[in-house]
Amino acid sequence: MATASGTAPATAPATTAPRRRSPLVRLAALLGGLALAVVLVVAPLVSSPFINYQLSSIMVFAVALLGLNVVMGYTGQVSLGQSAFLGLGAYVTAYGVVQGWPLWLSLVLSAALPATVGMLVALAAARLRGLALAMITIALPIVGVPLARRLDEFTGGSQGQVVSFLRAPETTGLANDQWRYYVVTVIAVVVFVLVRNLVRGRVGRSFAVVKENEAVALSMGVSPYRTKVLAFTIASLLGGLAGFMYLAVVQYTSPETLVFATSINLVAAMVIGGSASIVGTVLGALYYVLVPVVAGQVSSSRTALISGAVLLAVLFVLPAGLASLPRRVGGRLRRRTPAAEGAPATPDPDGTAPAVPTPAAASTDRR
Amino acid sequence: MTTRKARPMRITHRSGAVLATASIAVLLVTGCTRGESAGGPGSDGASPGITDDSISIGISSPLSGPTAGPGSCTVAGLAAYIGAKNADGGFEFGDGQTRQVEFTYLDDVYDPARAVSNFRQLTNDGIFAYVGALGTPTNAAVMPIAEEEEVPQVLLTTGARTFSEDADAHPWTTGFLPTYVTEGRSFGELLVDAGQPITVATLAQNDDFGESYLDGFNEAIDGSQVEIVASATYEPTDTTLDSQVTELAASGADVLLSAVSVTPLQVGVLTKAQSLGWLPRVFLPSNTSTPGTILEPGGAAAYPGVYTPSFSKNPNSPAFAEDEDVQAYNAAFEEYGSQIAATYTPHCAWSYAEGAVLEQAFAGMEEPTRDSFMESLRSITDFQAPMLLDGITVDTTSSDESGISTVQLVRYDAATGGYGPVDGY
Repeated sequence: MATASGTAPATAPATTAPRRRSPLVRLAALLGGLALAVVLVVAPLVSSPFINYQLSSIMVFAVALLGLNVVMGYTGQVSLGQSAFLGLGAYVTAYGVVQGWPLWLSLVLSAALPATVGMLVALAAARLRGLALAMITIALPIVGVPLARRLDEFTGGSQGQVVSFLRAPETTGLANDQWRYYVVTVIAVVVFVLVRNLVRGRVGRSFAVVKENEAVALSMGVSPYRTKVLAFTIASLLGGLAGFMYLAVVQYTSPETLVFATSINLVAAMVIGGSASIVGTVLGALYYVLVPVVAGQVSSSRTALISGAVLLAVLFVLPAGLASLPRRVGGRLRRRTPAAEGAPATPDPDGTAPAVPTPAAASTDRR
Repeated sequence: MTTRKARPMRITHRSGAVLATASIAVLLVTGCTRGESAGGPGSDGASPGITDDSISIGISSPLSGPTAGPGSCTVAGLAAYIGAKNADGGFEFGDGQTRQVEFTYLDDVYDPARAVSNFRQLTNDGIFAYVGALGTPTNAAVMPIAEEEEVPQVLLTTGARTFSEDADAHPWTTGFLPTYVTEGRSFGELLVDAGQPITVATLAQNDDFGESYLDGFNEAIDGSQVEIVASATYEPTDTTLDSQVTELAASGADVLLSAVSVTPLQVGVLTKAQSLGWLPRVFLPSNTSTPGTILEPGGAAAYPGVYTPSFSKNPNSPAFAEDEDVQAYNAAFEEYGSQIAATYTPHCAWSYAEGAVLEQAFAGMEEPTRDSFMESLRSITDFQAPMLLDGITVDTTSSDESGISTVQLVRYDAATGGYGPVDGY
């Protein structure tokens, strides 16, 4: 049972069985999406710059977390270097703005350069696994910080760089914070839609099978090596893109942007939100941005303590992350009916066989 | 096929619902609309955050993480001064009112993004001024927003020159601590005043911190008989400086300027040089010269002289036990600061002095506006703030210097285990 609920969120998205869908559910889905869109569009217009900054930050870290989720959640490879790509993306953007490059070029390069770096690292690192891989990814922010300090012609040294860009065009009548919110939100929504489609499709299934068992992946004609390199590349691309968004929102970058602690906090937020889950990624970003703010409201001297307590509480109650909350509640309710009660045991008779979950297994698994 | 068609719809539904709920929740919780935000000037021309009987100020400093010690102290010292003064009736203002100061502090973990977030939160809550924050990157990130929104970002607890070197470019920002340039310059001046040929070896951190020291030092010794005969740099991430010290020792210089900001590395420099039989006079920066953590483990007693810049009284030192300022500080800190900062760093004393400077600025404020506050704050001269050493005064009128622009050199006295006055080179 424990095994079943542990693996379910990872494998479920790509491999779930058919569901009966009533027109009512479709309508609800449509309305939900519509409501979300309205909220996303209207929110900045009625909010203070402080709220807009928080909302924009959520978008920034949602994209960074999404990248991390691709490589860690969906593909099961440890990456403790996401902050390095975030920082690299921010620095590339800052350099572009300072040099007066067109914004689209900065945007493209802020994604392409980190992606290239990520791919080169992954080409070597993806041959390793487990702790060795974790060590290589740790090296990225640890090398990155002194490098950013030393290359002060490009980075502004340890004092960092204030970069003023993305001012609201006059014609829009928007304030800067509103305009920046819309820019990062558009990027985030596009990225989320693309990645969602990616992980639901063929690539997503190859991620899942590599995560479960590389030998089985090979036997199915999926190269674990290439899959891992691809996942790393996507993760670093999204990290870089998040760096662009970070600069758009914060308007400042320094070596502090890519410190190792940020990577660790991102990993924690990803796990809290829900590994291998799109909704979980968004929830993780909400956690990452809002918990420190709320903790500061409670007691400024004890933010670390409060954040730690929240982290423990969430992981204790919801080991699969916040995204598993509806499923947990649903599971409790369903378990009361005898029909559902026996179901979970059937597909996973013992936890020993490293079985690749078949669609059928995974689905019953979750019922 | 049906699988793939059906599945995404359900996810859309669920993610949509969750997202929408979350977003709405955020909005409801904050419940803030643009119209209500405390951004604009009040109806009677007063700036936000000030009424006839109160004024609110805010700070964001690292209160958790590796910089929590100094960060907490920047809050605690200020809280102590303000708490004691409030209890005493309040602060007197130049417009004839007496106001209580409301003090809000937030934790930024030395993270620029969090500092910006905190600053936005504080201005959103309607603070009048942002006072005394610690940290170079965090304050650098806040500076452009403070300028754009015309919120005073003043008396910052940082020695970086960015915040003080150009008052015209950054009219809303002022630094408080002596810059690292000032510290470096004070070393140079001491050597020049000796009026004899002196050879110097320099060891500096390879960033703005180290460069500032060298700039100040070079400026002071320019054209004198003092000569730099060897120099080396290091990275803060280095684990040992033995090779740099060995290289510098080969020069046999009379003086070592060791602009090292990392505690264990500074200890390593002191032990390595004497193990090589090189015993120069040593100059240490103010932030790596604490006797208990640096000098004693480093065996500093072996050197003919160890100097460091200082400008504040140590409230724990027996030398100041009878000092009135120190007694007032200790009483106020016990009451209002000790629950914020558990251990003492000099930042506690510095930020306490900041409170007194703030009081001066308030006293000169003829209108309840930020403009008037900045004008008043920038015209304090020759002010002897509590907890500063005799002879160190606050002068905010210079457009290219921080509030405290002089330091005193002190010399380590191994017998007492503390610092004493310097009488020449």
